[in-house]
Amino acid sequence: MRLRLPLVAATALAAVAATAACSPSAPSESAGQGGDKNATLTVATTTDVVNFNPLLGNSRTDGWITNLMYPRLLTIDANGAKQPYLAADRGYSDPTTGFYELRGDMKWSDGTAVSAADVAYTINTIMTKKPAGNVVYGQLANVESASAPTATRVELKLKRPDATVVDEVGFWMNVVPKHVFEKAPDAGTFANNSDWVSAGPFKLTTVAKGQSYTLERVTPYPMAPAGTPNVAKVVYRVYPDVNTEILALRNGDVDLIANALPPAQVKTLQSTPGVKVQEVPGLGYAHMTYNMTRKPLDNLKVRQALAHAVDYEAIRSVVLQGQAVTTGSSPIPPVLKDFVKPDLKEYAFDPALARKLVTESGVGTLRPLTMIYSLQDAVTSQWAQLVKDNAAQAGITIELQGMDRNTYLAKTAAGEYDIYAGNFAIMDDPATNMALTFLPDGAINYTKVDDPALSALITKATATTDKAAQKDLIWQAATLVHDNVYDNVMYMQNLYVAHSDKWDGFVVKPSELLSVVDPQSLANARKVG
Amino acid sequence: MPPVVGFVARRLGRAVLTLWFATTITFLLLRLLPGNPALAVATPNMTPQTQAILLRQYGLDEPLLVQYGKYLWQLVQGNLGVSITQSVPVTDVLLERLPWTLLLTGSSLLVTVAVGIPLGVLAATRPSGLLDRLVQVGGVVGQSVFVPSVAIALLFLFGLQLRWLPIGGAYSPGVYGGRWYLDVAAHLVLPCASLVLVQLGSYVLALRATLIDSLGEDYCVLATAKGLPHRKVVWKHALRNALLPTTTLVGLQLGFLVGGAVLTETVFAYPGIGRGIYEAVTQLDYPVLQGAFVLLAATVVLANVLTDLAYGLLDPRVRTQ
Repeated sequence: MRLRLPLVAATALAAVAATAACSPSAPSESAGQGGDKNATLTVATTTDVVNFNPLLGNSRTDGWITNLMYPRLLTIDANGAKQPYLAADRGYSDPTTGFYELRGDMKWSDGTAVSAADVAYTINTIMTKKPAGNVVYGQLANVESASAPTATRVELKLKRPDATVVDEVGFWMNVVPKHVFEKAPDAGTFANNSDWVSAGPFKLTTVAKGQSYTLERVTPYPMAPAGTPNVAKVVYRVYPDVNTEILALRNGDVDLIANALPPAQVKTLQSTPGVKVQEVPGLGYAHMTYNMTRKPLDNLKVRQALAHAVDYEAIRSVVLQGQAVTTGSSPIPPVLKDFVKPDLKEYAFDPALARKLVTESGVGTLRPLTMIYSLQDAVTSQWAQLVKDNAAQAGITIELQGMDRNTYLAKTAAGEYDIYAGNFAIMDDPATNMALTFLPDGAINYTKVDDPALSALITKATATTDKAAQKDLIWQAATLVHDNVYDNVMYMQNLYVAHSDKWDGFVVKPSELLSVVDPQSLANARKVG
Repeated sequence: MPPVVGFVARRLGRAVLTLWFATTITFLLLRLLPGNPALAVATPNMTPQTQAILLRQYGLDEPLLVQYGKYLWQLVQGNLGVSITQSVPVTDVLLERLPWTLLLTGSSLLVTVAVGIPLGVLAATRPSGLLDRLVQVGGVVGQSVFVPSVAIALLFLFGLQLRWLPIGGAYSPGVYGGRWYLDVAAHLVLPCASLVLVQLGSYVLALRATLIDSLGEDYCVLATAKGLPHRKVVWKHALRNALLPTTTLVGLQLGFLVGGAVLTETVFAYPGIGRGIYEAVTQLDYPVLQGAFVLLAATVVLANVLTDLAYGLLDPRVRTQ
């Protein structure tokens, strides 16, 4: 009995010691600490970095951080047009040879020049290693090989004419340093999680996993004002919950929220003192596709009836609080001014017409149709209910099947749905994206459409380098999609990001991937308050 | 065999069995989920062949029994596999996060007990008094609230309105040395408080009820009749017996703490295992999920073993049952 107290005390001490042994330890002071007293821009994000190898990156935050370190050949302007970045010029010297001419004044952080050899190496590595999750691999289907005939010229040898590959690869691919990545046992699985050699406006110096990522200014950086970024440091901080993220902005813990705000938060933040809300054009769209391999959705009149049984304006004004625009039920979003077809009109919400079309279709009583969507997509989850209610007015029964993202992806891949509801994130090149969406073997052909006339138009458009001719083909294809309801594009959402009013100078670019956090924007950002 | 040795051996045997059952259920539940991890990292340009390569790479294309056999064999060797999304050993992923979860759950458990015992005693010794009523109402409310709601309310009040404490994270970037420990403590206050608030109620109410029962027992009445000061009767005689059920409750609450930690760590951007689970679920990272659940199951089982042993220490009758 008398021994018990010491025994309990000893046990407690042992527990404390054990806890202390595996308690969090203080980080050591890195070389990046102290020094420059210039401003630090703190950016909030909701997700952690999955990996630092841009050949593999699949999370949004991965993209934001690796974009600051590994340059792209091209960027995109507010009108959705590709613009020079690392490549000063690009094009085709003949129908089966694409080229990039690099600017020649960029260096890796170890002093080595960024050269055509790095670009050719990156392309060839993607083609041979097929890194998991790489977005460029699919765009290289028509590329035989890449070479670097000079220090600044890259040439792509094509298997067949392909008018999209130069711009698409130029925009989507981050160039990696050959002299670093070729030393890795396998560049396709290389973790690249320390001793970074990069060539952006900021260099990653400190990582606190799950917490923050600190990047420091690189001088010189030729694409910044006066050759150097305005801010000394950019720190990304992770807040998985968007409400916490917003509180952190409001109390000054962070200066900018990188991810687009939920529609419901936009108005609140617009009237919050000390906060500025910036509009970012969307490059994607929300859509519903009707699985044509399932009867009666192979019937055009049924698809038209479904298209006329949705109150699109109500969805945009109620669910998106006016933060979205119509695309005229066209697969070309209005931001792509060079390609948009203005005479395509949105399907009118007309329950009576929808009923009439169902009667004319000859399918008899329409069976209940299932609609799948991801419950993690709050906006889609809200408008799905409206779609169901609207359809009911036309006598059409839609059974909603909201599910977790992985189940949704699995069902989508297996084609287990009548109606697919979701989003197309970035539509930057109509020909490429239409090929993915409407060709029979397209990776995201959720309509399961196989229309020879449409396929011919898209195939021709992807091989046509003449812009005017390509635009004409795209217009014809868009009209076919619209008239046959091969895709029901409902709206293009305008995105909004929030930052502290003590900051300005951000350069707005379309899409959440670029928005105000692309390298040029962050290099131009400055603290004014 | 001495009764104590038999008692400990029985408890440990039961713990191993529980752990095996928990790991098996975890394994099966994850495989029953629709979808596959290749789709979680899929892009529009990922071909079915690439997906197949990815699944083969992680052995997810093998028959279920083969996967299970390998999983158990690796487990007994202390190998939790490799994270699908991060391409690093799961052990590394978890060990990086474990200290934060231990700090958060450990401190909240400690605060709950430290605050709960005096509150429970005060409420029980003055039944129907103002404090007792407050404890009862507060206890019921505390048991009913949703952790994230408490978390956001605390953040709003102390982080935004009063600006006393930081919003989110475990520490601020760029803080080093001695200041770092203070910074960690400041970041710990709100997540710890939210966990304490939701678990304190049940702890205090349980202690209050058992203490009121104990105080009505003959041995306490006799002790009072013998002229022992009331404080001594309460703290020395009644409390020891009243602590038995509440000790069990502490062990049981560790399971709830783990569940609460997933939500709390997510709202507070705290980099512990709970948030790791949240991220692994969204990415369908089987190995990380399996590893995290095994680790948490082991923690809960271990806590319950320790609770049983403590119970045996406090109540000799238990050792001989």
